[in-house]
Amino acid sequence: MRAVMIALVAVLLSACSNPREEVTEQLAHQVLLPAHQQWHDSNAALLVATQGYCADELDGPALKQGFYRVLQSWSYLQPLMVGPMAEGNRSWQVQFWPDKRNMVARQVEALLDASSPLSQEALEGASVVVQGLSAFEYVLFDEAVDLDTRSDRYCPLLTGIARHQQALSKAVLELWEGPQGMAAMLVDFPNQRYASADEALSLILRTQITAVDVLKKKLGTPMGRLNKGVPQPWQAEAWRSQHSIGNLQASLAGARAVWEQVRSLVGDAQLVSRIDSGYENTAQKLAGLPAPLVELVQNKENLPRLQSLYDSLDNLENLQQVELAKDLGIQLGFNANDGD
Amino acid sequence: MTLTRRHLLGMGAAIGGVAALGGWALWQGRGQSPLLLSARNDAAGQHFCAGYFLDGRRAFATPVAERCHDVARHPFLPVALFVGRRPSRESYLVDLRDGRLLQTVRSQPQRHFYGHAVFHGAGEWLYATENDLDEPGRGVLGRYRLESGSLRLIHDGEVPTHGVGPHQLAWMPGGESLVVANGGIRTEGSREKTNLDNMAPSLVIMDRHGELHSKETLRHQQSSIRHLAVADDGTVITGQQYQGDAWESVPLLAVRRPGDAYQPFPVAPSQLAMMDQYTASIAIHSRRRQVAMTAPRGNRFFVWDLDSAETLVDVPMADCAGVGVVDEGFAVTSGQGRCRYFGYRDGQLQSQWLDLPGGWWDNHLRLG
Repeated sequence: MRAVMIALVAVLLSACSNPREEVTEQLAHQVLLPAHQQWHDSNAALLVATQGYCADELDGPALKQGFYRVLQSWSYLQPLMVGPMAEGNRSWQVQFWPDKRNMVARQVEALLDASSPLSQEALEGASVVVQGLSAFEYVLFDEAVDLDTRSDRYCPLLTGIARHQQALSKAVLELWEGPQGMAAMLVDFPNQRYASADEALSLILRTQITAVDVLKKKLGTPMGRLNKGVPQPWQAEAWRSQHSIGNLQASLAGARAVWEQVRSLVGDAQLVSRIDSGYENTAQKLAGLPAPLVELVQNKENLPRLQSLYDSLDNLENLQQVELAKDLGIQLGFNANDGD
Repeated sequence: MTLTRRHLLGMGAAIGGVAALGGWALWQGRGQSPLLLSARNDAAGQHFCAGYFLDGRRAFATPVAERCHDVARHPFLPVALFVGRRPSRESYLVDLRDGRLLQTVRSQPQRHFYGHAVFHGAGEWLYATENDLDEPGRGVLGRYRLESGSLRLIHDGEVPTHGVGPHQLAWMPGGESLVVANGGIRTEGSREKTNLDNMAPSLVIMDRHGELHSKETLRHQQSSIRHLAVADDGTVITGQQYQGDAWESVPLLAVRRPGDAYQPFPVAPSQLAMMDQYTASIAIHSRRRQVAMTAPRGNRFFVWDLDSAETLVDVPMADCAGVGVVDEGFAVTSGQGRCRYFGYRDGQLQSQWLDLPGGWWDNHLRLG
């Protein structure tokens, strides 16, 4: 009898619980927090790989693999960056994009000219331009850098950046964990950040939709959309490592992970199917690109293909920003997007 | 004939039933929950002039054509001007008792509003920051007279604000001089900024007839001086919006203390980094010597000690918008979530959610 009562109470409780609270909690524990953990793990692995490379125990390709893995996890994380990582200008410490004036190359060389060998302290006191993955990528991939023969000059920077990234992701992860951590703010309402699950869910979707908009910029900028149609291949994200498309794919997967949790809340079955197709089409177009973005944008013949991908991203953004928000009855920012 | 307070109170009859101070005072009501005035939208994008009592009761929500920004409340009549947001050419004079739209105030030809205005303490004049589209960016202070009898605002001249792209303005102690934040950004009748590489922000103190008393600048030319508040002792705090690179760390608050030069208010770099180069609304609690500020892009609300700059509140708050002084603390609205109250109770600073509708509040509010 007692067991029946307990089971009955459990059923009643679950019947009373708010689906949006459930989805928000699932997002926190199954998507957002694991993505932060994955990013931190890749940073920790890159630090080990960098130290191995600089001690001549690991070769260049192995180091590059470690770097690609960080790019991947960082790109996946971007649509999921609610809370600490979206605050305090932290994301600029991870990646410096767009780099309109080739500041990464110039500042890396200037820093190393000024303090060689570079100390961790000097790096920590330097600009965010040289503290992140963009500077790491420059050293690892740019033709102007002969890493093999000048490891004395560049290794302290690579190790310093890897250490900085590892410390940053560790600090952010700590802000997610614990009773007052970000994950808890997405589970128990009201709390210091949110009055309700609706507010938290709105912010998660706002972050994800903003990230889809950023994907349009990451594609559109090298295509020349901000430059009267004249392509700007060197404005592509991760052009040196030729990983621009991989980054877009990983970010799209991160955005999709949010959608996969949210879709159960949507009342309009047709809208669900359209958003599903929107993700699928965009993913297929990305997978079908035959060469690195930095090369594709330099050949006019590729423009229709890239434009079609851009339109898919645009469609996906609109579907979520307008129709999904309306279906869920949630608000995606007001003054923060268009203040005065 | 110079209008007196008595004349104006007589004029109040024009809005029906408030024939004497007693009627207005009764309407204001002792012990009544304070009335919050703010521009607001709804989910469909309709703009409203809204009045809510802080306990959550709606006083009015008047639909209007243009999005408004700040509200200029009359010093003693139950009317307020909801000021059209840049580049609006309309502002709305509203009866605060029922939300009735008394007048749509249109800007002069080749002028538009910047979202801010103030009534003079004697109640006869209103001053609004405006753009001169014949010389885009040239700031002017539009002067409007509250017409006897009809309770309409009539344009009655203008003077320069001695700067480019003026935004918020406020009275200095004594109520005859204005402090004006000239944002330094040139726009030409749209929201597009056309001089980001050649901005000229300035903080101007001028008398209401146009005479320049002082004009000061900050070191960072791309720091647009936008919003401000004035303490009883004349201390001015301004909030900036930085138009330069997102990763740079530049001061976003500044202070002008009586007798001192205009200079950055000492805020920790870690707090600056939380603001995403954008500050919105500022309020000063003169008695408590505290200054509050919203940073909607950074989703952060702050309170500092006005004199020591010690941090008293530094909390996340989604799209926090307007802030105003109420009782022992501050009421804060949000463009995205629920509104909050931060105040002292038993010596402790506490926060509580307000029963106001959540979201869609514009960046400024007035309380009283």
